[in-house]
Amino acid sequence: MKINKTFSRITAYLHRNISKDVLDVLKKMKLQDVHLASARSIVIEEKKGLISIMPGRDLAQDPLDIIFFLVTPESEEPLVNLIIEKGHLYYPGRGSILVEEVELIESHEFFGDYAIQPFEISSQPVHLYSCIGICCIMKRGQGDAVARIALDTGTCVPAIHFGTGTGVRDKMGLLRITISPEKEIIHAFPTIHEADHILEMMIEVGRLDQPGSGFIYSFPIKKGLVNTRVNRGEQRHAASIEQIVTAVDHMKGNTEWRRRRTMVDKRSVRKKKYLRGLVDMILLCDGGTGMELVKAAMSAGAGGATISSMQYMSPHDSPVSDISLARELCSMVIPEETKEAVINVLEESGAFTDRCHGQIHLRRTSKAYTYVGK
Amino acid sequence: MADKKSKRIKINMRQALALLFPYIKDRVMSQIKSVWLIILYLVFFQTIILRIPISESSVIAFGIGLVIIGLTIFMEGLFLGLMRLGSLVGSGLPKKSPITVILTFGLLLGFLATLAEPSIHVLQMAGKTVKPWEAPLLFILLNKYSHYLVYAVGAGVGVAVALGMLRFYYSISLKPFIYLFVGPLVLVTVWASLDSNLKNIIGLAWDCGAVTTGPVTVPLVLALGIGISRMVGSADSGATGFGVVTLASLLPIVAVLGLGIYLNSSVPQPMSETDFFKKNVRSQIEVLFRNKDDLTHYVLMETSPQAQLSFFGGNHEEMLRYLKDLAMSEPKRKAVFGAANDALERWAFLRGTKEQQKAVFGHLENMQEAASQYTKEGTTGINIRDLGKRNLAAAIKAIGLLAIPILIVFFLLVRESMPYPDEIVLGIFFCILGLATFGMGIELGLDRLGTQIGSKLPASFKAISLPDDRKTISNFDFDMVHVAISSDGEKRQFFFSENDGKMITIPYDPSDFDQLTGQYRYTPVKGPLFGSGSPLPGILVVILFAFIMGYGATLAEPALNALGATVEELTAGTFRKSLLMQAVAVGVGGGIALGITKIVLDIPLAWILVPPYIILILITKFSTEEFVNIGWDSAGVTTGPITVPLVLAMGLGIGTQVGVIEGFGILASASVCPILSVLLLGLHIDRKRKAALAEESFADEEAGKDKK
Repeated sequence: MKINKTFSRITAYLHRNISKDVLDVLKKMKLQDVHLASARSIVIEEKKGLISIMPGRDLAQDPLDIIFFLVTPESEEPLVNLIIEKGHLYYPGRGSILVEEVELIESHEFFGDYAIQPFEISSQPVHLYSCIGICCIMKRGQGDAVARIALDTGTCVPAIHFGTGTGVRDKMGLLRITISPEKEIIHAFPTIHEADHILEMMIEVGRLDQPGSGFIYSFPIKKGLVNTRVNRGEQRHAASIEQIVTAVDHMKGNTEWRRRRTMVDKRSVRKKKYLRGLVDMILLCDGGTGMELVKAAMSAGAGGATISSMQYMSPHDSPVSDISLARELCSMVIPEETKEAVINVLEESGAFTDRCHGQIHLRRTSKAYTYVGK
Repeated sequence: MADKKSKRIKINMRQALALLFPYIKDRVMSQIKSVWLIILYLVFFQTIILRIPISESSVIAFGIGLVIIGLTIFMEGLFLGLMRLGSLVGSGLPKKSPITVILTFGLLLGFLATLAEPSIHVLQMAGKTVKPWEAPLLFILLNKYSHYLVYAVGAGVGVAVALGMLRFYYSISLKPFIYLFVGPLVLVTVWASLDSNLKNIIGLAWDCGAVTTGPVTVPLVLALGIGISRMVGSADSGATGFGVVTLASLLPIVAVLGLGIYLNSSVPQPMSETDFFKKNVRSQIEVLFRNKDDLTHYVLMETSPQAQLSFFGGNHEEMLRYLKDLAMSEPKRKAVFGAANDALERWAFLRGTKEQQKAVFGHLENMQEAASQYTKEGTTGINIRDLGKRNLAAAIKAIGLLAIPILIVFFLLVRESMPYPDEIVLGIFFCILGLATFGMGIELGLDRLGTQIGSKLPASFKAISLPDDRKTISNFDFDMVHVAISSDGEKRQFFFSENDGKMITIPYDPSDFDQLTGQYRYTPVKGPLFGSGSPLPGILVVILFAFIMGYGATLAEPALNALGATVEELTAGTFRKSLLMQAVAVGVGGGIALGITKIVLDIPLAWILVPPYIILILITKFSTEEFVNIGWDSAGVTTGPITVPLVLAMGLGIGTQVGVIEGFGILASASVCPILSVLLLGLHIDRKRKAALAEESFADEEAGKDKK
């Protein structure tokens, strides 16, 4: 059924040891329609002893859970505060939480109502500020280099998860096996004034101006609390730099004071032609059905998609509990004009029936970049 | 980019090559990276440390090339075809079929997997030196009842796969299963080690557990399990999808021990060789053989002349009469020696005593004629075509037996559209082609290299003869022989020989001197590596060798590669494939070193297996579900087609030199140690993760208090 309403999407990136506590709370609140994906976060870890002689390998990999769900704009604030409270996210190093505006275009009839019951807030609300999300899709195994940019600039702790890509690959014959469909998807959340530089550096490091190397885009984030603890190791001061930054952010009430000089040497960087006016169409559907839906979407003009597997969580006594636990998230970045056609095709191929239990969110992208040919 | 219609892109030849070249290069390079260590190490060890040149080096090099190509194709086939098919069926089945159907399917698949990847011949090879009088129960399991052994293992694996599916379906932790099986297994092993007959099958039983899960079964079962647990598992369980391999390693042990206990009452107790062939125990020992002729065949082929004599009641006449009888009557001969026409003559020439030869050949001239024929046949060429055919058939059987039922289930029960069917078909084809090439390469390259080193490895701690390097000296004259005397007054004869300008002394043995031709044939002796002093440093070299060999061979194992890739995928890269493989490889190296120590020092296997498993039960209790699953599963995958031939060759080489009953147990100890290493790594990682979080906030403690 068509919905076409704007909702708030809350996405939490939590260390796995914390995510259990948070998920328990969400379960207790009977929040419906929660999606969960496993990911990893990387932080720089000081090397000690003999290991420090060896090059590289100074990244610590932590298991991370990405949890996201849609809520009405009114209930977003209490929920975010609750998660921050439960996960103690105001300490840097435990996770990030972000709120963005998405448009729920169309969905299976189960997901009509996202209103949740009101509840008591037990603590002082934490101040959140707006930032930019960057999403980069790379060949599997090459993600760390791009993700490191966020660490090296002290921007945030990036999150990386796996997916499979379709696109050019599917327009070739059997020769497509030479192009691996396995992708890594990197998310980073710089402040608004850092975003352009980070994006540019990521393009340089990931060589995204080369054919077949990947895709990157940025999207606005309404507000959020970003994990900035990019270093792990001994602390030689009364407070870590991350704690100071967080404290100053809190005092100033914004991140504007963090504005810094450009990080990229302008001369070495060619002027890039960014793609604008694209939307990120996110199709959530039952496990195993993503590939055919994406194929249908591609026939209507979508260039390709990245499919990642999700777990579905819902309370036992709701209609949505019939939905399979294995879900797929297909992200397609398409020009705004083709959106209608793609949605129609998806509807025709049964994306919103009982077979796929699909739903489509739409989020705007600020700019995108990839190799577009000459 | 988005406005392109989804039409097929035309790719010309040059573009196709530009795509194919890096693709092939990447894959081949990654296989070379995984294989180079073990190969270089083996070559280095034999030529530099043992200083024995490699014979047939060109064949071995060719074989190794085939191994690399075969592995490359096979792994690509696994990822493209079999594993995708497995996960499609796994995720499709729970939606369409009730749990009973899934369990039946699991049972069947497990049983077929055992038939598909025949590990029994591997075990038979390890048990080649088993003597029926020393270990009757083991002997009967490996020979007369080897089919029961296969069924027992098959049933074990079948039940294991079914239990695994059940576990996924109801998301039960793996830990209770481990306690349930490992605890009693340890107790039964201790009990069995007290029984003179049962103690010999402990090694076989535990090795069965180690070898059952091969490079086709493991990835398939993993993919299947992950598919199922993704569909039905609860969100907060650990790395589900694993665990079947663990069960498939444990249950065959249960089955084989059970079979052994069942058969034990009907099998005679171990006894001495001469007692064994006395006529008064004949009815007891006939149980061990298929029939009387089989017994006779065994006696003639495998035992000493004294034993043969006592087999015929100590009566020379009777034995010779029997042999003459055989030579005359064709049906009798065929019943004892099989279909080959000249088998009897060959036996008489190669193994018979003088009087036996006379009885068979009748005249000395016949014998000399035959002799020229048999000595000539010593070097048989390698029949590549035959080799290829045999390996291709084995590969088709291995893949077909597993892929066909899965395909049937997919089309009959799952009935969903198959994404990229062409890739899956190509993948299965790659699997067959790769496995066949790989098998040929193993036979030509690794097997030979392994056997050469295995037979020569004992040279590091004791003197061994090198039959490959046998030399003939022409124009030998008895006048050249000198006499040396020891301090005890014992005299020994020797002579000098010149070799590359160096004079060396060679002990003289009259039986090596052929008076008629004036030729002296002698077999060079090598070792010990550190002179004639204590053998300890030499033994340490062997143990170190075993460790590095196990380490290197494990890194090249295809099943471990697939497991590593799956673990990395499921943990979204937090648990790197390389880290897992390193941990497992160190474990396997340690395990093989332990197994070799067992053989060299003749330690009972129960002592090697029981303490680690007790420690493992304890560690398992404290580990997280995720690492318990991965750790225990890695035990099952480690002993694959690369490790096994090398380990067996080494175990046999050392076992024969040291004179132990059987070469079993190395594989079993190579299975237990990686569990230990992975679980310990898991504990370490877990502690670090918790510490990192604790460092970032002390709120955890408060949160913990809240919960309580």
